[in-house]
Amino acid sequence: MTEVTVKARGIVKRAASGKALVCRKAFSFLGDVDMSTGVIIARGHEHEGETIAGKVMIYPETKGSSGGCVVLMSLSKKGMQPAAIVLSRPADPNIVEGAIVAGIALVCEPEEDLIDRVPHDAVVEVDGTSGTVSWDD
Amino acid sequence: MKLTDEEKKMLDGLYGEPMAKALDYLRQFGEAFDAEKFIDVIYAHYPAEMSIYFGMVEDLVEYSETGAKVRIPTTTSTLACDLDQWESYGCPKGLAELQAQAVTAHRRLGILGTYTCTPQLLGFIPPKDSYIISVESSAIIYFNSVLGARTNRGGVFTRYSAVTGKYPLMGYLLDENRLGTHLFKITLSPDDLKFDSDYSALGFHIGAIVGSEVPVLDNIGCPDQSNLLALGASLATSGSVTLFHAPPHTAEAETVEEAFQDSKPKEEINVTTRDLRNAYDSLTNIQKGDRIDFVTLGCPHYNLEKLKYVADWITEHDATIHPDVRFWICTNRMTKNAASWEGITAIIENAGGTVICDTCPVESHMRISTCNEFGLKTPQIEAMVTDSAKMARYVGDLIGCKTALSNSDHCLRCAVAGKLV
Repeated sequence: MTEVTVKARGIVKRAASGKALVCRKAFSFLGDVDMSTGVIIARGHEHEGETIAGKVMIYPETKGSSGGCVVLMSLSKKGMQPAAIVLSRPADPNIVEGAIVAGIALVCEPEEDLIDRVPHDAVVEVDGTSGTVSWDD
Repeated sequence: MKLTDEEKKMLDGLYGEPMAKALDYLRQFGEAFDAEKFIDVIYAHYPAEMSIYFGMVEDLVEYSETGAKVRIPTTTSTLACDLDQWESYGCPKGLAELQAQAVTAHRRLGILGTYTCTPQLLGFIPPKDSYIISVESSAIIYFNSVLGARTNRGGVFTRYSAVTGKYPLMGYLLDENRLGTHLFKITLSPDDLKFDSDYSALGFHIGAIVGSEVPVLDNIGCPDQSNLLALGASLATSGSVTLFHAPPHTAEAETVEEAFQDSKPKEEINVTTRDLRNAYDSLTNIQKGDRIDFVTLGCPHYNLEKLKYVADWITEHDATIHPDVRFWICTNRMTKNAASWEGITAIIENAGGTVICDTCPVESHMRISTCNEFGLKTPQIEAMVTDSAKMARYVGDLIGCKTALSNSDHCLRCAVAGKLV
């Protein structure tokens, strides 16, 4: 096993690690996730029934209601927020506000596409200060 | 970030601790995006703390006791219940009482308790090119696109912008991020684009393709205000569209060329009647003849014109809502007051409908997670017919009900029949 590190743009300058939750489609914090438990409730979602709590969420971009950041805040008050968020595209300010308050590390625009590279459930480290995403390959 | 002398004084606490803290949060936020400086915002639409979200109202009440005051006109987005009518539709008392504490706290902060997703209907119409900060994806996109005011997708830091009057200069506030990226050539007949739901389906189709970029919609017919609200709301549901251009109906481009200026569309995409039908179908999983128990109009919150339309329809058809159907028309308090003065509310209520303020089904206690907390049965709704793609998309998963997207006339016919007709 070798450790792979990919450079990204650091947005929320915290470090965190957790199991990867890789989603191929844009994610809406309003509607896609139960706001008390962190379980994905969107019908037909590739990870329906899995929790986002403590995970490193890797997905293309955030979509939907600007209530998304409030969902993140509310989840964090129950300790059910993701550990980190890695976005393929530029970060939406709305979700960044939620991530700052909820204490979620956030990076975006990695130099390589991570959605096809990071195995689902792999343990991933995200450092928002150095702007890196690392895992054992 | 480069700070003005005034901003330095604010950070140093010369204007009090709440102001210093608020600007410090905004500076961290601006630096994350490499913003060069702050700009002054003239208006804020603020995310009202909803009692269905754990700890939010308590946090607000605590903040309101710090002595913080807003510096700019600030309106509030929706709550988790209708402050006057919550009891009549089964909202848990604990939730309503907690929510009511937010009203006192907002007043203490100097924030107006408008509690609506459509503050522009109350006269909050910032001038073209003005800087504002707004939450509520359907209001954000309307401010940017239809009015040409400038805002990013605001969130919880809107509180700090309201208190300081500042926001980092970044994102959609900058000229270079306001050009069109994708061209949608719409080849629909006038009959395809008559109702809000048609514009809603159109936006839902395009939003899913364009994600967070800036679509330019060529040939959207002759939309009215309500149609444009519906279009924007659904663009920001299936995607996270913050700004669109629909020349010549939107503020910043008279022609398609003007919307792109010297840039070239990344993609040109045709939109046909079939695309519109597919959007309707993707949000409909109720069969014709199936019983329904809920009909919602007014997502985003209806304007006075639409409330009158519903009352006129009821009068014309001498209609009575089916006893097994809850028929909600959602709006804000000011519009409802005007409707009540006109006799419109009475017509709707006498027919068995309810004009709801402050909230809507998506934001209410009817979410499965809230029902679980209060020991209420789920789902609270079996099958809902609505004229809004945004409503259909969110209630499906959050309330766990079946949905049908249809035009307002058809919604009314279903509400009378008690089934999908």
